[in-house]
Amino acid sequence: MSVTRRGFLSLVSPRDRSSSVIDVIAARGHEAYWAEQAAGQGTQAGQGGRAGGAGRGGNRPALPEGVEAIRISSNENPLGPGKAVLDAIVGKFPEAGRYPFNSTPSETKLAETIAAFNKVKVENIVVGGGSQEILKSAIRAFTSPFRPLVTAAPTFENCTQIARRMGHPVYEVKVDSAGRLDLEGMIAVVRGAGLVFLNNPNNPTATVHSIKAVTDFVERVRRISPDTVILIDEAYHDYVTDPEYQTAIPLAMSASNVFVARTFSKAYGMAGMRIGYAVGATDSVKPLARLKMPYNISVFGITAAIAALGDQPHIAAERARNTEVRAMTVKTFEELGCKPTASQGNFIFVDIGQPARVFRDACAKSGVMVGRDFPPFENSHVRISMGTMEEMKKANAVFREVLRPSAPAGGGGSRGGGGGVQPGGLGRGSRS
Amino acid sequence: MVTRRKFVTSVGIGAAGAVAGSWVAARGREDSIWSMLEPELSAQTPAATAAAPIILSSNENPFGPGKAVLDAVQAAFGPSGAQPGRYSNASGALVEALAKHHGVQPANITLGCGSTQILRTATHVFTSRTKALVGTIPTYEECAGYADMMGHPVRPVPLDAEFNADLDRIADAARGAGLIFFCNPNNPVATYVGARATRDFLSRVTRISPETTILVDEAYFDYVTNPDHATHIPLAIEDPRIVVARTFSKAYGMAGLRMGYAVGHADTIRKMADWDSGSGTSSLNLLAMVAGTAALTQDPGFIKAERERNLAVRQFAMQWFSSRGMKPTDSQANFMFVNIGRPVKAFRDACALKGVRVARDFPPFENTHCRISFGTMEEMKKAVTVFGEVLGKPAATSAA
Repeated sequence: MSVTRRGFLSLVSPRDRSSSVIDVIAARGHEAYWAEQAAGQGTQAGQGGRAGGAGRGGNRPALPEGVEAIRISSNENPLGPGKAVLDAIVGKFPEAGRYPFNSTPSETKLAETIAAFNKVKVENIVVGGGSQEILKSAIRAFTSPFRPLVTAAPTFENCTQIARRMGHPVYEVKVDSAGRLDLEGMIAVVRGAGLVFLNNPNNPTATVHSIKAVTDFVERVRRISPDTVILIDEAYHDYVTDPEYQTAIPLAMSASNVFVARTFSKAYGMAGMRIGYAVGATDSVKPLARLKMPYNISVFGITAAIAALGDQPHIAAERARNTEVRAMTVKTFEELGCKPTASQGNFIFVDIGQPARVFRDACAKSGVMVGRDFPPFENSHVRISMGTMEEMKKANAVFREVLRPSAPAGGGGSRGGGGGVQPGGLGRGSRS
Repeated sequence: MVTRRKFVTSVGIGAAGAVAGSWVAARGREDSIWSMLEPELSAQTPAATAAAPIILSSNENPFGPGKAVLDAVQAAFGPSGAQPGRYSNASGALVEALAKHHGVQPANITLGCGSTQILRTATHVFTSRTKALVGTIPTYEECAGYADMMGHPVRPVPLDAEFNADLDRIADAARGAGLIFFCNPNNPVATYVGARATRDFLSRVTRISPETTILVDEAYFDYVTNPDHATHIPLAIEDPRIVVARTFSKAYGMAGLRMGYAVGHADTIRKMADWDSGSGTSSLNLLAMVAGTAALTQDPGFIKAERERNLAVRQFAMQWFSSRGMKPTDSQANFMFVNIGRPVKAFRDACALKGVRVARDFPPFENTHCRISFGTMEEMKKAVTVFGEVLGKPAATSAA
């Protein structure tokens, strides 16, 4: 809630509430909504809600009328992009009619800016319509009916879903007891695979592997299965505070068949703009460049992304803000006797000892929207994204209320919480 | 002096509140930002002018979207349009608006990141290593380029002497093909096959080659002035083998937003969406969805006015070349394909030096024909001055 943001808002629409601008560009709820659609509708989901937006997955609870939502289900920057980004978009209204190769700056300039930011050459970058396009192209380019995808469970499901829809085999390796990607388990099945999807930090478990562990992993995969491509998805890179973690971009630049995916949807707060990219050695990213959709970034997106990369203090502030909120929320759960994993993202994955659905529905009654089910942990763990400090203070109060041991039904603070949604105790829920 | 760069900066920082709403409204669409900038640009040094050329190379609407569209984009920033979770419904709202606009069901529509995505998807889904793509040569290259990349065969069909699609030859080539790409009006040649002839052609192809899908690209639909004109959407929603592509990039003036769509039989649309939906909205950006919905609900007079504006420029530009003995094809679009009687590259490069950008080469006509998009009337008047300088003086007789 910086002064600059309010300043911008007063320029755009003086009577606005501060959350509005943010929600539209940041598209809060994007990730959760579409994941729910995909879960609820299988392959029918997506591509612009062909079903007219009707029919949701069965995973999102209804919000009581009149209750203002605190949406902490989608791992998106609650503050949205910075002032520089919003100004840049508005400034490009005159070029809305121009193709992205005719606009100023053009799509080429975006790729050049991303390359310079990451200290690589432009031929090392492939820009995607969200990192989803990168992931989609990777599945199409590198997997086949005979070359499986190796991924984790749970992890970001995008690759898994696309590979399954294409009928390509998928090996899902369950995370270890601390919620970390089981690198040994993945190595055990990697021979002959087309693609390994390595989400670091891993969504939804929020854990990271050190650069040393990732480097060792890549070297071993290279020895065992030289043709297997390794996709390291660093969507949450900007939130990591663990000093053992580093980006794998230098590794990707020096190894063969390795690339890193990044996105503007998370810390940059621009999920609504759909911009992501791949970085890797030229030969590694060439197959992605072949499949890249022409003119995939809007004129507004180009200018927004360039402005965003130029506003690193905004990202640093977002990381600091998130770290503070994350520590507070982790503490709340620890006090409630619920153990979160070692979160390095802008979300936590916490053992609430009861089905996520029960907890989710109970929180929704107070307007707090937490993450969907993440099998195989849907009966014990919930993923909670970090909202603003203000949102999270309210949310933490709701968590305390919902998880309060042996609360009598209809107790004073239970706003509309019906009997049956209160847990009988901590850690007593059914486990999978 | 206000350079464009300075202008944009001042809009962004000092005048954001005025941009989409009152500012555009006050000036009116006919006095859009481009023409407003021209006096400043023309006063620039040559180097600065070169940085902001007259762009006649991409078949865009030079005025961009209507006020209602920019208002809606701004409203998406503001109080009415940005409740939490609004994103969740933006694509649904656009699909609903499109369905209503075309009198079809939402299941008949799938969205794309520009019609580019629609064309690629159709090529992927309906062609294979054994099922060819059929298209005229030249035509818009997206489908052929993708098929080629995937190793799927492409059967190019020459145009007739007047640069019209040769329907008999296309029908012959269609036997056993996977997909016919039928761009009408046809880019880059600007010619148009009437509605009746197109209907007959579609019915003939579906009879003689039942396994072939026909993608009718109606990107330039709104620019057609030939009275024998109708969309083939009604046929498409009845027949799974016909699918229509549309875009907001042309008459709607939203090339920078990236939004297109396909309309067809629910089964065909499902096949396309199943291949390319990715997860969620994939590559569709929110502002494009908001803008698309607004574009459909704006004053229907917007498209009519754009068609008429374009027609006047088209007549002016075609007359200019005709009177100099350079024959354009019978354009029904917002661009022309004209025989300049010399290699296009030299012409293009010379025009670019003078601040006018015309289109790339279109083999096999790169040594004779240039595609020139229609800018504003003001831009075209400046452009023909440049063309005159580059092509040489007209014959004395043509001055009359």
